[in-house]
Amino acid sequence: MIDGIVELLRGMGITLSHLFKKPVTYQYPEEKRPVRYRFKGRHELKRYDNGLEKCIGCSLCAAACPADAIFVEASENTDAERFSPGERYASTYEINMLRCIFCGFCEDACPTEAIVLEDKYELSFYDRASAIYTKEMLIVPVPEGGQDTPQITEPGMFDRSIPDMENPK
Amino acid sequence: MTHIILRHHDVENIHELSVYQANGGYEGLKKAFSLGPKAVIDEVKKAVVRGRGGAGFPAGLKWGFIPGGDMQKYIVINTDESETGTFKDREILEKNPHQVIEGALIAAYAVGATKIYNYWRGEYMDAAYACEKAIKDCYASGLLGENILGSGFSCDFYNHFGAGAYICGEETALLNSLMGDLGQPWSKPPFPAQEGLYGKPTVVNNVETLANIAPILVNGADWYVGLGTDQSNGIKVVCLSGHVNRPGNYEIEMGKVTYHQLIYGEEYGQGMRDDKGFKALLPSGGSGPVVTADALDADVSFEGLNPFGSMMGSASIIVMDEDTDMVWATEKMTHFFKHESCGKCTPCREGTFWLEKLLIKINKGRGTQEDIQKLERVATQIQGKCLCALGEFATSPVLSTIKHFMDEYKAKVNTAVPVPAD
Amino acid sequence: MSDLVTIFVDGIELQVEQGATVVDASKRVDVDIPVFCHHPKLEPVGMCRMCLVEIGMPMRDRATGEPVLEEDGSPQINWGRGLQTGCTVRVADGMRVRTTTDVVDEARENVIEFLLTSHPLDCPICDKGGECPLQNLTMAHGLGESAFDFDSKMQNEKHVPLGELIFLDRERCIQCARCTRFQDEIADDPVIGFHNRGRALEIVTLSDPGFDSYWSGNTTDICPVGALTTADFRFGARPWELIPVASISPHGPEGANITMSTRQEAKSGGRVVIKRIMPRQNELVNEIWISDHTRFVHHFADAADRLTKPLIRKGGVLVETDWDTALTTVAEKLQAAGSSAAGLSGDRPSNEDLFAFQKLFRQGLKSHHIDLAASRIAGGDVTAQVGIASGSNLLDLGRGDVIVVVASDLHEEAPIWWLRVKQAAERGAQLVVLNVRPTRLDKFATHLVHYPVGEAVATVRQLLGAAQISDGASDQIGKIAEAIVGATNVVAFYGYEGLTYAETDVLAKSLANLLQVKNSDGHSHVGRVNNGLIAVWPHNNTQGAWDMGIHPALAPGYQSVDQPGRSAAEIYSGVQDGTVQTLFVMAADPVGDGLMNGRGLLDFLVVQELFLTETAKVADVVLPAQSWAERDGTFTNGERRVQRYYPAIQPVGESRPDWQIIEQIGHKMGLDKPHFAASLVFKKGIAAGVPQYSDMDYRSIAKVEKQYPDVGGEDLYYGGTSYENKHGLGQQWTSAAESGDVAMFTVPDVTPSAAGALPVIRTAALYTPGTLINRSDVLSPRMAQPTLHLHAADADRLSIATGDAVIVSVNGQSLQLSAHVNGAAPQGLALINGVSYAAGVLDAKIETA
Repeated sequence: MIDGIVELLRGMGITLSHLFKKPVTYQYPEEKRPVRYRFKGRHELKRYDNGLEKCIGCSLCAAACPADAIFVEASENTDAERFSPGERYASTYEINMLRCIFCGFCEDACPTEAIVLEDKYELSFYDRASAIYTKEMLIVPVPEGGQDTPQITEPGMFDRSIPDMENPK
Repeated sequence: MTHIILRHHDVENIHELSVYQANGGYEGLKKAFSLGPKAVIDEVKKAVVRGRGGAGFPAGLKWGFIPGGDMQKYIVINTDESETGTFKDREILEKNPHQVIEGALIAAYAVGATKIYNYWRGEYMDAAYACEKAIKDCYASGLLGENILGSGFSCDFYNHFGAGAYICGEETALLNSLMGDLGQPWSKPPFPAQEGLYGKPTVVNNVETLANIAPILVNGADWYVGLGTDQSNGIKVVCLSGHVNRPGNYEIEMGKVTYHQLIYGEEYGQGMRDDKGFKALLPSGGSGPVVTADALDADVSFEGLNPFGSMMGSASIIVMDEDTDMVWATEKMTHFFKHESCGKCTPCREGTFWLEKLLIKINKGRGTQEDIQKLERVATQIQGKCLCALGEFATSPVLSTIKHFMDEYKAKVNTAVPVPAD
Repeated sequence: MSDLVTIFVDGIELQVEQGATVVDASKRVDVDIPVFCHHPKLEPVGMCRMCLVEIGMPMRDRATGEPVLEEDGSPQINWGRGLQTGCTVRVADGMRVRTTTDVVDEARENVIEFLLTSHPLDCPICDKGGECPLQNLTMAHGLGESAFDFDSKMQNEKHVPLGELIFLDRERCIQCARCTRFQDEIADDPVIGFHNRGRALEIVTLSDPGFDSYWSGNTTDICPVGALTTADFRFGARPWELIPVASISPHGPEGANITMSTRQEAKSGGRVVIKRIMPRQNELVNEIWISDHTRFVHHFADAADRLTKPLIRKGGVLVETDWDTALTTVAEKLQAAGSSAAGLSGDRPSNEDLFAFQKLFRQGLKSHHIDLAASRIAGGDVTAQVGIASGSNLLDLGRGDVIVVVASDLHEEAPIWWLRVKQAAERGAQLVVLNVRPTRLDKFATHLVHYPVGEAVATVRQLLGAAQISDGASDQIGKIAEAIVGATNVVAFYGYEGLTYAETDVLAKSLANLLQVKNSDGHSHVGRVNNGLIAVWPHNNTQGAWDMGIHPALAPGYQSVDQPGRSAAEIYSGVQDGTVQTLFVMAADPVGDGLMNGRGLLDFLVVQELFLTETAKVADVVLPAQSWAERDGTFTNGERRVQRYYPAIQPVGESRPDWQIIEQIGHKMGLDKPHFAASLVFKKGIAAGVPQYSDMDYRSIAKVEKQYPDVGGEDLYYGGTSYENKHGLGQQWTSAAESGDVAMFTVPDVTPSAAGALPVIRTAALYTPGTLINRSDVLSPRMAQPTLHLHAADADRLSIATGDAVIVSVNGQSLQLSAHVNGAAPQGLALINGVSYAAGVLDAKIETA
């Protein structure tokens, strides 16, 4: 009998001790949980510091995508209307978030590190059409000091797609 | 010794037609007319005149490959003398042009060609003008043109300038250039003897080779076979240059003179410049492997340098003294080959560029031990894979200097300032 | 056949023709020797050094000539001193080839490493990436790593226009010379070449305008890297995203086999569009080449101004309507007109369309008033008798054979045939060219006759006379006749340049009789393989139109009708004088072509078209048809080869296939229910109704067999992903002469069209402006400008200089032209070019504007 009371008190003690601990739950959506460093959330299309887009429209992400969620169409840059370094840029870039499985293969395939799975994870839609994220939705804002695309650039300045070819380290 | 090719040393003004004729000139041609074409080829075959341009292919055999029949045939004289350190053909054609013209006419008569093209290196303008005068004289005296010397044989002679490309010394590149195309060699077969200039049978001979022909016909093949060694008949004009006291063209009997004699002999080089020590020599311009002092006792002949892994080639001997920086010298030679690569085949086009790049790096003191290995690897990578001999030649200075002067490479690499990592 | 030799490739014994290269021979046993510069259609050069292999020959004793044997009795092999290029070495009996040894592997690794030292690694943005021989061979034979410093890669111009159609990326070029050799050897347009030397070797264009050749697009196909790209496809899509669809060129009588690469695009509103057109290998038709016209003309299929809905005239204007209303109206009107209704068709639609069209008139309306809207050249009935025999291949013609080309500028009218005739001439065939003026073919002619204006027919008759007498006359005509009669094989082409329809009829019949003249062996040149007549038809399916009976006097299969209907000319005059009240025009624009003056006194005009043409604008009902890219069907080429094409894109708007529209009209008139598919129209209609087609169906036309040289395999050594032909080599129908002797033709008399002081003829240009080509923006800079070509003497007399604006009045029409005084026109004859068709020798007035 005494034993029973001791056990009961011990149990209540644990409960009591938790009253003074920091709670593990978050008050989502008011309060958002920070994600881990290697979290794979919604994609972003990155820019260089000067504002030019990193994406060159090579479609390798689309080729690597196991869910066939990515669609790319390329067009040609000119110095009068430049979106990215080199000759080619993505004029259409769409990801169907209903199809995406967030595997990150697109990131691996990207030769310019243009597409990165970032930390946004709030993806919900009311209809199928709005599940398709266009380039405008995916691309990051122009960094400070940079210019929005299309830019007018000097001839010869950005004629290579992959600016510095380096030896494999 | 009386000269057989460089006869202007013995006879003054032999470049004049009258002087040449007064000294037995064009007797060989007359002899040829009396023998008939077949006998001429047999005579030249018997004399075994190995090509003096470097490859050493017997001229008589070459002529023998020309098919019979009535089609147009051509003789092309290869005066695109662009090998580094070679300047014999220029002297022969400038000072004793008629002997070459006579040789070419005999060749034309023997194979049934009616047109002779002399393909000049672009830079040899002045020598070509001298030769042009000789041709004019020949036409005036009935030695060229219709019905030469009443023999019924007609032949024309044209001088043509290249634009200054080493590769046009290669016979097929020469023919391409002569036809107005890009000076790039073609992959043989077809050999020029079957389909050469304008798709017709063509003999391409070196100037010096042709200069040997007339004396052979006059004196007989046996006389010629008596000169030189078993494998190298006759005489050779060697071009001596570099760190010697008396550079120049010297006519020697093959196999009878050693490289040592050539450098130190009183009648030849008269010793090293400033009495410095001997380090190395290039026996065949840039294209033959470097040899060192141990090869000095070899005789100058086609086979003389075989034991030392090198060759006589066109016998353009560049002598280097003890102060020569061999890595620097290799870079210069490699630059030459890179500059002269026609770009047709991949290993030569890309390989020569890469070799030079590595040598510059090493010479600038930025090289590493790995770069020497890389250099050797790239050179072997080129070897045996090229369309023509140029790529092959480009590797020989690199590989031979690495073999003989590894310490110099190592010294450059060891003192190298490490490049800071970026 | 040439002699066979036995060789051993990696131990596999095989027999190949003497003269084959080791690379091509090895392909026969599926041993792929990697290549970059080599191309089986080009002369070997051996410059990339990728194909280095070990080649050995059995040793022979020098003294006795006997083979030297190993101890086990096998021949001792001399492997030579080093590696040899498999592309330049020709096979010889007993040859051994080793392609998998370490030394060969190492050589391949080395060459790849060298090539990559100056090749940029921009595969992600390269149009060739994914179908690139360099990529493929690097994956297959490359080392995977390189000791080379990437930072000393070449940095060259990446965007060099070699003309309006082709772009060059200098960095990517690996100097294989395939493009320059193609232009020199195959196209005979040496307009691009190498410049500089060594690593600076680069391609430059030598012509003005740049890369001025009808064949330029082919260089992008054979380029083993992405150095050459077309302006049309540049960055259009990645190759792996494209869906290949087999098709047939919608232009020209050669019937070039093509592949259309299609893709669904957001840019085009989610529609599937044609991204590019590439050749499909058919060694019997176009080998692996297509003209730039074929390659770039496809834009009309996607043009924004395509008709999307049926139109009907209400209150004087054309308004959109639904199909049922349109079809009912047409059916009622046609039925009311009955046997007086007339039909005109173009010669572009498929056999199914044309068959349905004539069936509607002949069976539905009991009317024979059907004809081609614009007939330029007669002789379908002649080629049906003595046309080039089935099983023929122009590729087989060579030494001992004769090719005759009369009154045609093949280079402009049928470029593929020009190419094949030229190549046959280079292989040793004697080429006889008869024309009124110099053409591109003259250069290759063994016998060249420039007959005086108006004497085409007379010249051919003279030739026929000389051949029939064969008295060994030593004049030129006599020699030509002797060559033709004595030849092993003879193929004769005839065209219509400067001739009227009646003249071409005489020409066809005279040539047919010429081919029928028997030589001393009792052989004639008809009914045998590689012999016969070919008409240089103006369009892709003129032959099919003849076969399907689009003719007032010939029902399908050349069966003559009891009471011939009105010909096109009679229909046009009937339209003006009111005797023709109801007219159906399919795929033609007689008003736009100046053949019909408005709608005349027509009561009812229905036009079935892709676009709102001049004729459609005056129609009562306009029916939107589908272009060839949207559906399937068959075309019959000038060699009578029936070939299938497949649907590539979705229908534009509500458009329907021509045959379906016609059958739906017929159904409303009480004929059979429309067929479910084009294949059934072929099976139940054509195969049953056209005797020549009775042994064909869609399956037999789609048969394929392995073709050599093997360029379309999965190895992709020869560039291009489209070559492989999986969808049919077509089927040639048998001419009458093959199954028995045909009678000599009775050749009618004809008066040549009258000529004025300076006769003028209209000559063809490949890029002559027209309904279809005008919609291809990429070709617009190359479009033939309206030009008058004059001989210097005539120009002096008229005081006209090059560049002058002139007005030429032809058939009551005034043409604004720019004058060119050059070698194109002979003295006493002016040529007009870049303008719409006009038949015969024109009595034209030339004035300076």
